[in-house]
Amino acid sequence: MKKIKKNEIFMTIIIGLVTIVLFSVMFMQFKTIEETDITAIENMRETELRTAIAEWKSKYEQTIEQLEANRKSTKEYKEKIEKDEEASDLIDKDLEESNMKLGKTTVYGEGITLTLSNTNEYIIEPFDLIDLFNELRYAGAEAISINDVRVLSSTSVAQPEGSLIVIDGKRLVSPFVIKAIGNPTYLSSNLSLKDSGYIDKNRARGMKISDIEIKRNIEIVKDNNNRDIKYMKEVEE
Amino acid sequence: MIFIAIVIGCILGAVIGIYAPMVPYTYSGYLAIAIIAALDSVFGGIASTLKKNFDLKIFVTGFFGNAILSILLTYLGQKLNVDIYLAAIVVFVGRMFNNLAIIRRYYLEKWTSKVRKEKESSEQ
Repeated sequence: MKKIKKNEIFMTIIIGLVTIVLFSVMFMQFKTIEETDITAIENMRETELRTAIAEWKSKYEQTIEQLEANRKSTKEYKEKIEKDEEASDLIDKDLEESNMKLGKTTVYGEGITLTLSNTNEYIIEPFDLIDLFNELRYAGAEAISINDVRVLSSTSVAQPEGSLIVIDGKRLVSPFVIKAIGNPTYLSSNLSLKDSGYIDKNRARGMKISDIEIKRNIEIVKDNNNRDIKYMKEVEE
Repeated sequence: MIFIAIVIGCILGAVIGIYAPMVPYTYSGYLAIAIIAALDSVFGGIASTLKKNFDLKIFVTGFFGNAILSILLTYLGQKLNVDIYLAAIVVFVGRMFNNLAIIRRYYLEKWTSKVRKEKESSEQ
């Protein structure tokens, strides 16, 4: 009798446990299914997730490719910009040099000065000055001025009357102070060659020429003339 | 007394199930097949009780064994890319219907015999 009762209790407990397990699992499942509808994305099947991952991967790869291409093009652009900058730098340098050569800027540098003056025996003529400019240029003068008037390749030298000399429309009188920037040694030695040099030759003719002064820092003013182009036009090739 | 245990078990199980953590959807398929297997065992147990050859050991081992086996089979099916769980469901549900038929017949017979007895007693 007692054994039967013990058996019964045991069975009751076991069956109770079994029902607990069964119902808990069932309700868990109910809950899972119910909530999966709401949060479908979070609980997608593995295969779906895999396809999603594959999709994202391919997208990612595409984006990377795009990025790479963009980087390449940016690099190219940068190089181009640098080249342009170099080119514009070169152009700027060219422009500066041209301006200097054309006498549009006041320049300074080492060079020589000398003074020519009239004497009673001799009055300086334009040819003397032109000759001097030529000699200076031959010796490599980069900039020349006479009585603070810039002498350029287009400078005119005329003598309308008497001892007056007109250079680029400016009237100059003796003494003429000539400044030249260039290698001072070349300039001075070229002018002061014995007998055949400019100084000796003209001194012999009676012109008063001061000794050549070599200076480290000569300033030569810029050209003040208006040199606008009015008539000439470029021929298109 | 067993009925009380079953009722308490139902309520407790429901409460535990509701407050238990959610199962990932990937594994809910396995859980579903286990539930079907367990339900099959329960109906089998009821049927055998009515036939008076209920054995607790057979019931408990069947309950857990079938559930675990069905889960394993489903897993294997997924690995083989064959829907084995369909076969499991067919078998379990078919058996459930069988057992339900047995239970139904038992109670029907009981009821009809009761009615007949009442008739006989009223006739007497």
